[in-house]
Amino acid sequence: MPKAQQYRRFSISDRVEHWVLTISFGLLGLTGLVQQHVDSALATGIINLLGGIETVRLMHHIAAMVMMFETIYHIGVLGYKFFVLRTRATILPGKQDAINLVQSLRYNVGMSKDRPKQGRFTFEEKLEYWAVIWGTVVMGITGFMLWNPIATTHLLSGSFVPAAKAAHGKEALLAVLAILIWHLYHVHIRHLNLSMFKGTLNTEEMQDEHPAELADIQAGRIDPRPAAAAIARRRRVFFPVFGVLTVLMLVGIAFFVGFEKTSIATIPPAEEVVVYSPLTPTPLPTLPPAATPAPVQATATPAPGTAVETPALAAAPTWESGIGDMMKTKCGACHSSANKLGGLDLTSYQAAMAGGISGPAIVPGEANTSLLVTRQASGNHPGQLTAEELKQVTDWIEAGALEK
Amino acid sequence: MINAEPIRMFRRRFLPLFGGVLLLAGLRPALRSTASAVAARPALAQNPANDVCLACHGQPGMTTTLPSGETLYLTVDPQVYNNSVHGVNNQACTDCHVETSGYPHPTFQEQGVTTRRTLSLKLYRAACVQCHQDQYNAALDGVHDKALAAGDSNAAICTDCHGTHNITPPNQPRSRESQMCERCHSEIFELYKQSVHGAALLGEGNPDVPGCIDCHQVHSVEGPSSSGSFHLFSPEICRRCHADRTLMGKYNISADVFDTYVADFHGTTVALFQKASPDQQTNKPVCIDCHGVHNMRMVDDPESTVIKENLLATCQKCHPDATSNFPTSWISHYRPDPKRAPLVFFVNLFYAILIPAVLGVMVILVVLDVRKRIASRRKERQHA
Repeated sequence: MPKAQQYRRFSISDRVEHWVLTISFGLLGLTGLVQQHVDSALATGIINLLGGIETVRLMHHIAAMVMMFETIYHIGVLGYKFFVLRTRATILPGKQDAINLVQSLRYNVGMSKDRPKQGRFTFEEKLEYWAVIWGTVVMGITGFMLWNPIATTHLLSGSFVPAAKAAHGKEALLAVLAILIWHLYHVHIRHLNLSMFKGTLNTEEMQDEHPAELADIQAGRIDPRPAAAAIARRRRVFFPVFGVLTVLMLVGIAFFVGFEKTSIATIPPAEEVVVYSPLTPTPLPTLPPAATPAPVQATATPAPGTAVETPALAAAPTWESGIGDMMKTKCGACHSSANKLGGLDLTSYQAAMAGGISGPAIVPGEANTSLLVTRQASGNHPGQLTAEELKQVTDWIEAGALEK
Repeated sequence: MINAEPIRMFRRRFLPLFGGVLLLAGLRPALRSTASAVAARPALAQNPANDVCLACHGQPGMTTTLPSGETLYLTVDPQVYNNSVHGVNNQACTDCHVETSGYPHPTFQEQGVTTRRTLSLKLYRAACVQCHQDQYNAALDGVHDKALAAGDSNAAICTDCHGTHNITPPNQPRSRESQMCERCHSEIFELYKQSVHGAALLGEGNPDVPGCIDCHQVHSVEGPSSSGSFHLFSPEICRRCHADRTLMGKYNISADVFDTYVADFHGTTVALFQKASPDQQTNKPVCIDCHGVHNMRMVDDPESTVIKENLLATCQKCHPDATSNFPTSWISHYRPDPKRAPLVFFVNLFYAILIPAVLGVMVILVVLDVRKRIASRRKERQHA
């Protein structure tokens, strides 16, 4: 038997379907699984690589739409084969598949010397095909609920939405892992089966995987293609019917995709409140005085820091006869030996006569050039002397500013 | 809402001002006359002791008028100061009032002071930072300093919260800290007072509930105005307490709320945004969007935004078309169990059986096939 003999396995249309499905399934799996595992660095890395979660969700939705279109097309292909070409539905599972599974097991564990003689679709292929059908139905229904939670909860209890989310995620995991184990092994590892690229298998490959089909072909047991007239007649019925169905299904997809606006796109205010709303009256850094405010006056009468009466002065005032006491009482708070504001200490005769940083405070006999007098005379000094006190000090200085 | 602010401002600012102008007219020439005496002002041998200052400033009722016409109260109650943290530590008046340690004091014009506020702003910048560098630096990162820098002179400075001559430890009692915020944020404080946190703090002095600064930080105060990230990362603030099993156990509150939040769409998206674009302004809800910002209640409080009766309205904030069944699609921070979310629980159970069953069978079949093929190949080789 020539090795070059090729047997047609998949038409171009079948192969295009397969690759559209592969791409949409792969994208859905990738963009879906990363959303399930946001706690993993790998998943968040992939999400960022794809342009962020919003982009990932958009990609997921677009891939879902592609898969929905592919599903409609596949329904059309099946319908055409079943109603127009009247091909045998070799993909349907049957008793023979169970026998083949058992036979395969017996062979693999050494209980039988013969591998099952499988036909056009092996039990492995049928398992995979029907798994895809099951998965598409589950993912389609739960996906609709997640895409349209408001529409869903119009009809169903709210708990269907989280249940759909749970099922959608778990089913996705099952589908991806099944593909990785089952499909990868049977199509890529056991043999590298290139029929989805080339569309054909050679005799050896047919003998290995589909011996029953090969035997049928070689024996000429091929279903005859119906007469062209019959096909044309059936087409005239099939295409309008399927056309209507297609329109209905496309409307369904449009409904699926664009039915509801689930949430707003704007950012609502978190809280309606005036942020800056000070208490009245606003507390001040320095508390207002309890009494009626009394301004600092140019020639204030109250003596700061003391309520002690100024002692009466003798007729010829000296430091010791009263001036010294007056100074200590009225000036001593600031101009003491301890505080010495302006370098001036007015609490002892010697210190007072020594003066301060600005010069001598007291110039004996010259009240007009004594800083003590000039400062006090211009007013508003914190320890303001009364007019009478200032006159006594002036007189004392004019008289020589005597200590005794 | 009518803005009462201008009326309040008028009362606060201008009424005392008229009184001040009338009373203090006599002082104005004196203030002006000292302007030329700057150079001649004697330097001090040493900074005066507090009783020197208090000799005048301890007198009751001492005021002056600022160039703006505002009255400035000059009296310091020695008793109050001596009981303050600074008084107790024997801090000198001139430690803070550095520019007024001499006499006569520099005029307001010389100090660049026109209003009471400019005086406060000037003083705190020079004074507080000398000893409280860390807090001052932290405050530079806060919303208040940013507002201040942007020209809002009402933004809080150290003294607005801590006081001036009367500073005492702010957390004695702890509720005092939050009451400081009330001075400028009274509307928010009203909401907070009604919240489960505020009621517990102010009512019973509960030590576990957050006051303002527990969420907004102290000194480096942050809020939604500071950046988009405050809203986005706010679940982390709630998490600090609400994922703490010991703390939540004390009040019989679930500590699963954070994990269950992140596990669903809202939290998942927020968690991803946090990682991918932390400054993103988003409408994806965080804790406060459902539970209330400052007025969050116990979940069984009739006023709660998330109690069953109010939940639909809360959902409708973002899902305006939602109808009565919609809120139950959120399973209330519960982990799905047969009682609270039977449908979710049984879906999970179904897949907990189906996934291992299907994959298990597949793996067994594949392994058996691999084994047989390796054995067959070995046999073929031996024959050859």
